Amino acid sequence: MKTLLLKLEPIIWLLFGQGILIGTMLLTAWLAVVGVGIPLGLVDAQALDYERAHALGSNLVGRLVLLGLVALPLWKGAHHCRHLSLDMGGAERDAIVAPLLYGVATVGSVLAVMAVVSL
Amino acid sequence: MTETKKFVVTRFDPDEDETPRQQSYEVPVQPDWKVLDGLNYIKDEIDGTLSHRWSCRMAVCGSCGMMVNGKPTLTCKDRLSNYGDTLEVAPLSNFPVVRDLVIEMDGFMEKFQSVKPWIITAKEKAVEEGTNRQSPEELEHFKQFSMCINCMLCYSACPVVGNEPEFIGPAAIALGHRYNMDSRDEGARERNEVFRGEGTVFSCSYANECSEVCPKNVDPAAAVNQAKINAVLDWATSFVVPRQGQGGK
Amino acid sequence: MSRAAHPHAMQPHRPGSTRTAPPQMPPQFPSQGRYLSYSLFGATGILYLMAGFVALRAVRALGEGPEAWAALQAQFAHPLYVAFHALSLLAVLFVGVRFFRLFPKAQPAKIGPAKPPPRPVIHAMLYVVWIAVSGGLALVLAGGIF
Repeated sequence: MKTLLLKLEPIIWLLFGQGILIGTMLLTAWLAVVGVGIPLGLVDAQALDYERAHALGSNLVGRLVLLGLVALPLWKGAHHCRHLSLDMGGAERDAIVAPLLYGVATVGSVLAVMAVVSL
Repeated sequence: MTETKKFVVTRFDPDEDETPRQQSYEVPVQPDWKVLDGLNYIKDEIDGTLSHRWSCRMAVCGSCGMMVNGKPTLTCKDRLSNYGDTLEVAPLSNFPVVRDLVIEMDGFMEKFQSVKPWIITAKEKAVEEGTNRQSPEELEHFKQFSMCINCMLCYSACPVVGNEPEFIGPAAIALGHRYNMDSRDEGARERNEVFRGEGTVFSCSYANECSEVCPKNVDPAAAVNQAKINAVLDWATSFVVPRQGQGGK
Repeated sequence: MSRAAHPHAMQPHRPGSTRTAPPQMPPQFPSQGRYLSYSLFGATGILYLMAGFVALRAVRALGEGPEAWAALQAQFAHPLYVAFHALSLLAVLFVGVRFFRLFPKAQPAKIGPAKPPPRPVIHAMLYVVWIAVSGGLALVLAGGIF
């Protein structure tokens, strides 16, 4: 398991890096508008009524943005949660924790692809 | 008027002590003294059994690294006037302790050697071919990382070193990266295999504490994170350009 | 008082001839001094994981039709959801600022013939891109454009 994790490390790190870089940029807008702005009435809820939201989301660029919005933060989150576990003295349990967390990120990414494709 | 400061020093005698303990000393200090002067006074005048490493007294040998009030520092460089009436002096964190303030260094030496810190070339250059030529710009690519004095403060500050025993660590990675960036060197592929091995550079989790405590502005955090990018590029290009045989040593 | 580090931290493969005291973590770790910022940086991973899965719910609701989408928007209006999203937004901003501070020095001095711009330029460019991407996406989401 450790050898496999080491082999996959460059990919995981790249996904984690993009999770921070691109994921952070996308999440900022998403959280500000969809998470806070619309619920608090600071943004007109009509801006994201179903017709407009679906039209935006099912456009090719929209699908890519939504995919990045879901999948990239998962990799950042999984990698950092793994490091949290290690920081709490979890070197011995890493062989279980790491595949579990990266597995969650993988499943989430696959679900994200499926959700985006079926828009 | 001589001031007095209280040194609370961690003591450990493997033959006598089950675990490390603390011992206090009242030390008359001079205004321009460093922490090391206080420790040397203790050893010379109060308690000759105190063991601590030191040598150059001018922050170039890297021997005198210790924890002072919970932070890793070079005790020959750190002024006593930076501290109040009481100082806690302890051995460097993250290291096994041999005795008192002396830590076991061999683990560090192993990690050091693992990154092959020497010029690697495919073929040794014949003497008749003359010296290697390097421009000032090429020197700038790695010069900063060559300034390390192996004081190990960065290992003491790094949370990953304490939690993941295989991690190569800041100074060793910085040194390996120094050679990877040296225009005379051809061993980057070999070193990147070490960087992606058990002691993987990717264990670094961006604490940046190594660079904060480095007394020589080596900025090991920069080296480690640059090494990550180089390691990824090396990994990616290894699919396109097959690995050649090992370079000659 | 610091807690114990991993028992094998910095231990040589061939131990020395005398008994050693076990290694200790730095006393300020994990939640004092600069380590607090570091620990929070890692802890944002939990929020990122949650935010990603909540966004996944939103995308799936969008794919299921107008009723599912309306139901999701009603759920997002719940104070707990708003609090979660607001906390996540703070976390995202914190992550961005901290990471962007370290990003410029993480670029190698050269990759082949290519050299990165000076570090302050990279730092500024990151913020320009952040504002452009986030601002642009926010405008789109809020109905300002398209």
